[in-house]
Amino acid sequence: MLRSDRFLAYALILPVVAAVVAFVVGPTYNVATLSLTQVVMGQERGFGTLGNFKALAADPVFGLVLKNTAIWILGGTVLCVSVGLAVGTFLAIDSRLTGWLRALILLPWVLPDVVTAMAWKWMLHGQVGIIGQTLQQTGLTEGTISFMGDPDLVMWMLVVVLIWRKMPLVALILCAAIRAVPDDQVEAARMDGANAVERFRFVTLPNIAFSLTAVTVISMIWITAEFALPWIMTGGGPANASQIMATYIYQQSFEFFNWGVASAMSVINLAMLVSIVALYLYINRRSWASEASK
Amino acid sequence: MGSVALRNIRKSYGAVEVLHGIDLDIQDGEFTVLVGPSGCGKSTLLRSIAGLETISGGDIAIDDAVINTLVPKDRDIAMVFQNYALYPHMTVAKNMGFSLRLARQSQAEIDRKVKAAAEILDLTALLDRYPRQLSGGQRQRVAMGRAIVRDPKVFLFDEPLSNLDAKLRVQMRSEIKELHQRLKTTTIYVTHDQIEAMTMADKIVVMRGGHVEQIGTPLELYDTPASVFVAGFIGSPSMNFVAASAEGGMLRIASGEVLGPVTGDVSSGREVIAGFRPEDIRLSDTGIGARVALIEPTGAETQLTLRTGDASIIMTTRDRITQSVGDTVHFSVPADKLHCFDAASELSLTNRTRPQ
Repeated sequence: MLRSDRFLAYALILPVVAAVVAFVVGPTYNVATLSLTQVVMGQERGFGTLGNFKALAADPVFGLVLKNTAIWILGGTVLCVSVGLAVGTFLAIDSRLTGWLRALILLPWVLPDVVTAMAWKWMLHGQVGIIGQTLQQTGLTEGTISFMGDPDLVMWMLVVVLIWRKMPLVALILCAAIRAVPDDQVEAARMDGANAVERFRFVTLPNIAFSLTAVTVISMIWITAEFALPWIMTGGGPANASQIMATYIYQQSFEFFNWGVASAMSVINLAMLVSIVALYLYINRRSWASEASK
Repeated sequence: MGSVALRNIRKSYGAVEVLHGIDLDIQDGEFTVLVGPSGCGKSTLLRSIAGLETISGGDIAIDDAVINTLVPKDRDIAMVFQNYALYPHMTVAKNMGFSLRLARQSQAEIDRKVKAAAEILDLTALLDRYPRQLSGGQRQRVAMGRAIVRDPKVFLFDEPLSNLDAKLRVQMRSEIKELHQRLKTTTIYVTHDQIEAMTMADKIVVMRGGHVEQIGTPLELYDTPASVFVAGFIGSPSMNFVAASAEGGMLRIASGEVLGPVTGDVSSGREVIAGFRPEDIRLSDTGIGARVALIEPTGAETQLTLRTGDASIIMTTRDRITQSVGDTVHFSVPADKLHCFDAASELSLTNRTRPQ
């Protein structure tokens, strides 16, 4: 390569590198150093301490937050992808109904977070929510259920709303992947004697493995980063029963000004996410490899 | 055993009927080729036999048992698809053994049958490969292997060679024919290529617009085509057709020259289409005058394009040609090589017993 070409190449990628350093690497580095800094009342008091992590370990709420976050991320991802796969499989069927549904299903996805959260908050309200009232009036339950007030229930209610909001795009992506499965493979499987379940298991699933992996990883990242939905619906309550990493980090930093502890949690959050995604990619490395070599 | 009988098969998509009552008898062990231009319904007919399409009317019977409503897997039929349709995530061995695995056969049994089929098809060394690591011809053989391991009553081939390059196509053509001679399984083969049909078939079914145009052995179709369509479709280069009228037992073409005697029962003054094959034309001192428009030598034989009036006549000859472009020549056609078709219905008027 000519010398001037090389300079041009560097010059051309410079803006992107600068942007990534400024907006991704920089803040990450900042949070990482902050997590090792003692902060009292918003004032930095000395770098090079594991005090923030020790404080977290001693915090009884943090254990609860970890449990809730596990339900939120793992439960959310598993349900989002499995429900999305089921809906996507249904939408992949050719009919006029599914043609309309394919367009309509994106509706939850285009609503803003705040609208979704407020609407569901009212529908699930303990006294005046339409869902509780309907259940009571049809005689399915004795009284109204306090969906958001029950510590055992609230986390799962959040997951349900999360699925409602995030599943449509997953379903649509998987629907597209299923429709791209070559017809002749499905027909060959029919000739080979495969029933509908076997055709799904042995032909459709392997063919959409790449999309399924990608959509799982993306869902997990979306759900981990989702803040507005739980914050507006419960604010972490009642009594931290729906406190997850995202909301607890926000509370610690912007309500209690414990920036050190909040940064430590962010670092833990990032490490968890990276390791889960890395594990998932490792397990599914074959589908990526085979896709790449086509 | 594997005789196939089709009785008045009809197939409609909504209001559009694409198969208009097909009748066909295929004997056990016969290699039958369905041939016709695209859109003639040959693939639809094959897929109906396979059970991938439901027919709108008629009966499909295998060994006299009607199978109209059976799902594909219960019909005991194997199919080879145009695009091979191999499962990309399975090795060659897994691809070939998939149907046996679904049928819950023991692994030892599956291994034995896959190995046997692989030996027939020369695939033994490739059993652990994935389809993406194979060439087109190898994939085609795996697709055939997948059909062979099931030992079905009937093999169906849906244009299996159309994705291969010309040289490989000729090679696979003989491989499939040899395979059939070895296994003697009833085979129905769909193609749009008349050369494939001629070289492989015991029996050719020429289809057009959802109808059967003619059924016969390759040479029956070649020697006694039932219509202009079959005459033009079978044979390459295709038959020459010229408008002619019957006058006093002779065929007179537009220029007024006489082509030869009328073959068959044609009344005087009737408008007909005269047909004759390029290889049956002889250059002679007398006969119809024409100008040489094009000379295309291929080595073994030479193809000449002759112009007479506004008609273009193709002739092929194995003789070395001394004429050059622009020369005037005379040609004639032996009386027993002339075909006569009705000008309106385009059906053959020639009732000739086939030469032995």
